[in-house]
Amino acid sequence: MFNSSFDAVVPMLCVTLAALAAMGAEAFRARDEKMPIGGLGIIGLVGAGVACALLWNRNTSSFGVIVADNFGLFVTMVLVIVGILTIMFSSQVLEVDNLPRGEYYALLLFGIAGMMMMATANDLLVVFISLEILSLAVYVLTGIRRDDPRSTEAAFKYFLLGAFSSAFFLYGIAFTYGLTGSTRLDRIGAFLAAQSMSDNPLILVALGLLLVGFAFKISAVPFHMWTPDAYEGAPAIVTGFMSTGVKAAAFAAFARVFLSAFEPFSQQWVPVIWVLAAATMILGTVVGVAQSNLKRMLAYSSIAHGGYLLVGLVAANQIGKAAILFYLLAYAITNLAAFGVIAMLASSNDENEELRDYKGLWHTHPALAAMMTVCLLSLGGLPPTVGFVGKWYIFSAAVSSGYYGLAVIGMLTSVVSVFFYLRVVVMMYMSEREGPEPVRPRIARMGMVALTLSVILIFYLGILPTRVLDYAAESIATIF
Amino acid sequence: MDGWLGVLIMLVLGVGFAAVMIGLSVLLGPKNPTPEKLAPYECGMPAVGDARERHSVKFYLVAMIFLLFDIEIAFLYPWAVALRDLGWPGLMQIVTFFMILSVGYLYVWRKGALDWAPAARARNALRRGPRKAA
Amino acid sequence: MDLRFAVQLGIIGLTFFMLINASAVLVLAERKIMGFMQQRYGPYLVGPHGMLQPLADIVKLLFKEELRPKAADKWLFNLAPILSVAAAFTAFATVPWGAETTFFGLLDDPVSLGVADLNVGVLVIFAVTSMGVYGIVLAGWASNSKYSLLGGLRASAQMISYELSYATALAAVILLAGSLSVREVVDAQSGYWLGFIPRWYVFLQPVGFIIYVIAGVAETNRAPFDFPEAEQELVAGYNTEYSAVRFALFPQAEYINMATMSAVATDLYLGGWHGPFLEQYGLGWLWFLMKVGLILFTYIWVRWTVPRYRYDQLMNFGWKWLFPAAVINLIVTAALVLYFNA
Repeated sequence: MFNSSFDAVVPMLCVTLAALAAMGAEAFRARDEKMPIGGLGIIGLVGAGVACALLWNRNTSSFGVIVADNFGLFVTMVLVIVGILTIMFSSQVLEVDNLPRGEYYALLLFGIAGMMMMATANDLLVVFISLEILSLAVYVLTGIRRDDPRSTEAAFKYFLLGAFSSAFFLYGIAFTYGLTGSTRLDRIGAFLAAQSMSDNPLILVALGLLLVGFAFKISAVPFHMWTPDAYEGAPAIVTGFMSTGVKAAAFAAFARVFLSAFEPFSQQWVPVIWVLAAATMILGTVVGVAQSNLKRMLAYSSIAHGGYLLVGLVAANQIGKAAILFYLLAYAITNLAAFGVIAMLASSNDENEELRDYKGLWHTHPALAAMMTVCLLSLGGLPPTVGFVGKWYIFSAAVSSGYYGLAVIGMLTSVVSVFFYLRVVVMMYMSEREGPEPVRPRIARMGMVALTLSVILIFYLGILPTRVLDYAAESIATIF
Repeated sequence: MDGWLGVLIMLVLGVGFAAVMIGLSVLLGPKNPTPEKLAPYECGMPAVGDARERHSVKFYLVAMIFLLFDIEIAFLYPWAVALRDLGWPGLMQIVTFFMILSVGYLYVWRKGALDWAPAARARNALRRGPRKAA
Repeated sequence: MDLRFAVQLGIIGLTFFMLINASAVLVLAERKIMGFMQQRYGPYLVGPHGMLQPLADIVKLLFKEELRPKAADKWLFNLAPILSVAAAFTAFATVPWGAETTFFGLLDDPVSLGVADLNVGVLVIFAVTSMGVYGIVLAGWASNSKYSLLGGLRASAQMISYELSYATALAAVILLAGSLSVREVVDAQSGYWLGFIPRWYVFLQPVGFIIYVIAGVAETNRAPFDFPEAEQELVAGYNTEYSAVRFALFPQAEYINMATMSAVATDLYLGGWHGPFLEQYGLGWLWFLMKVGLILFTYIWVRWTVPRYRYDQLMNFGWKWLFPAAVINLIVTAALVLYFNA
C-alpha cells in the first residue's frame, strides 16, 4: 500500500492544496479585505502543469487506481489551461456581481481537482468519487448567484438530474462488479477479454447504465435536458467552465472506460453511441438555430460539439482517439473564450446575453467583437482556426473507419451551425443598435489578457497543429 | 447469547413492553375528550396558527456538518481497530485526513455556522471587521 | 430446547426485568436524593420510606385519560414513545454485565452474562443509542404543538452534536483495546499495574472519560443539558402533549438510557466486572452494579447541583471545545499506543 509512488497524484494534489489554502484564506479574511485568492489558484494550477510535464512519458500509477499515463496527463493539461483561463476571466465577474470570492475559487479548484482525478482514474469507484467531487462543486457554482432566481433554479435542476444520473452510474458499477469481480478497469478488461460473456444480458445492463451516467455528464441527446437551463442560468463564466472542464473530464473517463475495460464489447456499444452521436449533433444544431439568447445558443452548440466528440469515440481508430484529445483542447479553449466575452460584457443587474444586445458591439468594443468573432468562427470550424483542424481530424477518422454516415451528418450540421455563429458576427458588425446602449461594465485588463491568450492559441493551433497533434498521438499510443 | 438473536429478542421485548403498556392504558383510562383537551397546549390561550412552520436554517446547518463528521467517525472505528497493523503510516494517513477536515472545520467555525445566538455572530463580525481593516 | 439456551433466555429475561426496575429505582432515587439535597424528605408516604412510590405512579398513570391533540399525526404520535423505549432497551443488548460463567458447574460451556456478545458491540451501542433521537424528534413533530416541535428540534441538534464527541472519545478506547467487542475491551482491563493499580482505561484515558461522561449527559438530555424539555422555556418540550402511559414511556426511556450510558462507561473505562476479592467467587457482577450505581449517583448529583446552560453555550461547548478535545485526545492516544507498542 505504501510502496506505490505518490507521483501520479501530484497534479491533483497541487490543485487540492491550492483549494484548501483558498478555503483557509477565506475563513480568516476580514470582511472587506482583498486577498489574491485567484492568484493562489493560478499558482496551484501552474504547479499541476509543471507536474504534468515532468510526469510525461513516465506512466506512473498511484495505489493502482490513479494512472498518470500520457492520455490522462494530456487531459489534465487541458484542464490546467481551462482552470487558468477561468480564473483570469473570473476576477472581473466576481467584482461586478459581488460574488463570494473565497468560496468561488475554492469550489472551482476543488472541481478541477475532481476533474483531474476523473481523467486519470483507473477504477470505476474512483471515477464515481471524482464525478461526485466535480459535480458537487459545479452544482454550487451554478447557483452561486444566490439572489438570482434563474441561477438558483438552474442549480436545482442540475442537482436533481445530476444526482439521478449518478445513481444510474453507481448501479452500472455495481452490475459490473457483480459480473467481473473487480472495479479496476484493467482487470475488468482482462476478465471480459478472457471470458465470452456476450450472451449474458447483465453485462448489457451494466454497459447501458454506465452509458447513461456518462451521457448525462457530457449532455448527449437524449440526456441533455438539463443542459440549456443549467447553462443559461449559471453565471456566464461558470457556464464556460462547466461546458469545457466537466465535458473534458467526463469524456476522458468515458473514453478510458469504454475503450479499455469494455473494448471487448465494442460490437455492442458502438451502434448505440453511433445513434447518440448522430442525435446529439442534429438536435444541438437544429435547436441552436432557433435561439435568441446567446448563452442558450452556445449551450446547444456545446451539446452539438459533444456529438462531434462522440464521433471520435465511435471511430476509435488511431486518428480518432488522438482526434478526441485534440478536439477537447480546441473546444475547451474556444468555448471558454466565447463565454469569457459574454461574462465580461454582463453588468450586475443585466446579463446582456440576448442576441440583440450584441448589435453594434463593433462600435463600442472593437477588440472584444473581433476576438468573439474568432471564437465563433473556430466553433463553427472555419479555417485557419483550431476548430477547423479538430473537426477535420474527427471526420477523417470517421471516414477512415468507414462511418460515412456519421461524417456526412457531422459535416452537414457543421455547415448549419456556421449559420448561427455567423448571425452573431453579422449582428456585431453590420447592424446598428436601436434604443439605448446597454449598460456595460468596465472591461478588466486580466480578462483581456486571457482572451488574447486564447485567440493566440486558437490561431497557433489552427495554423501549426502538428506539434500538439503529435503529443495527442503519443498520448494514446501508450494505452488502449 | 451469541450472535444477533439476543439483540432481536431485546428489540421485540422493548416494542412489546411499550405496546402493551399503551394498550393497557387505552383499555383502562377514561375517555371523555372535549375540544379544549384536544387543542395543542399554548399556556392556556387558544392556539395561534400551525406549529409546522419553517424553522431556523441553523438546524439544517448543524445536521449537515454533523453528517460530514459522522462519516469521518464511521471511518475512524475500523482504523482504530487496525491501528497496530497499520503502524505509523496509518497514523500519518489519519492525521492528514484530519488536517483536510480541519480546514473545513475552521471554515465553518469562522463563518459563524457554529455560533448559535445572533449576538455571538454579531460580536464575531464586529471583532473581525475593524481589526483586519487597519 | 437445551439447557444452555434456556439459561441464556433466562439471562435475557433477567436483563430486561432489571432494566424496567432500573427506571423505577432511578425515579425513586432521584426524588429521594433531590429531597436530601434540598433538605426535605421526598416521597415517604407510599410504602416504607416511600419505596412503592414508582409503582403507585405507574398505576395512577394507567388509569389516566390519553389525550392526543386533534391536529397531531395519529400514527407517529403513538410510534414515537414506542421507538424511544425500544431503542433504549435494544441499546443495552450488547452491554455485558458479568464474566462468563458456568453457574458453579451447572453448564458444560460457560455462558456470558449479558444479552448478546457481538464482535461489533461498540458499534451497535453507538448505532442504537443514536436511533433514540428519532423517538424524540418524531414526538416533537407529531404533536403539532410549538413547544413540542421546538423541543424535538433542539433535542435532535443537541444529540447529534454531542454524538460526535461521544463517538470520538469511544474510538480512543477501541484503539487501546484493539477490538470492537465490549467483552474483549473489558477483559483487556483485567489485572493490575505494579500489583495494586487496576488496569482500567480510565487511568489511561482520563480526558476521554471526562468527555464521554459529559457527552453522555448531553446525549441522555439530562441537566445541565436538558434543553429538549427545559421547563421554563418550553413547558415540557417534546412531550408537552403527551399524557398517561405514553408520557411515562419517555422518562422511562431516559432512565434506561442513563443506565446504558453508565453501564457502557463501566465496561469501557472502569474495568466492568473486574475488581478485587469478589471476582474470585464469580460475583464480579456485583462490582459492575456498584460501579454503575456510582456513576448513576453522579448523574443525579450533577442534575441537582449545576444549573442549566443556555442553548448557544451548549452548542458552543459541544462543537468548539468538546469535539476538538476528543479528536486531539484520539490522535495523542494513537501516537502513544504506537510508541509503546514498537
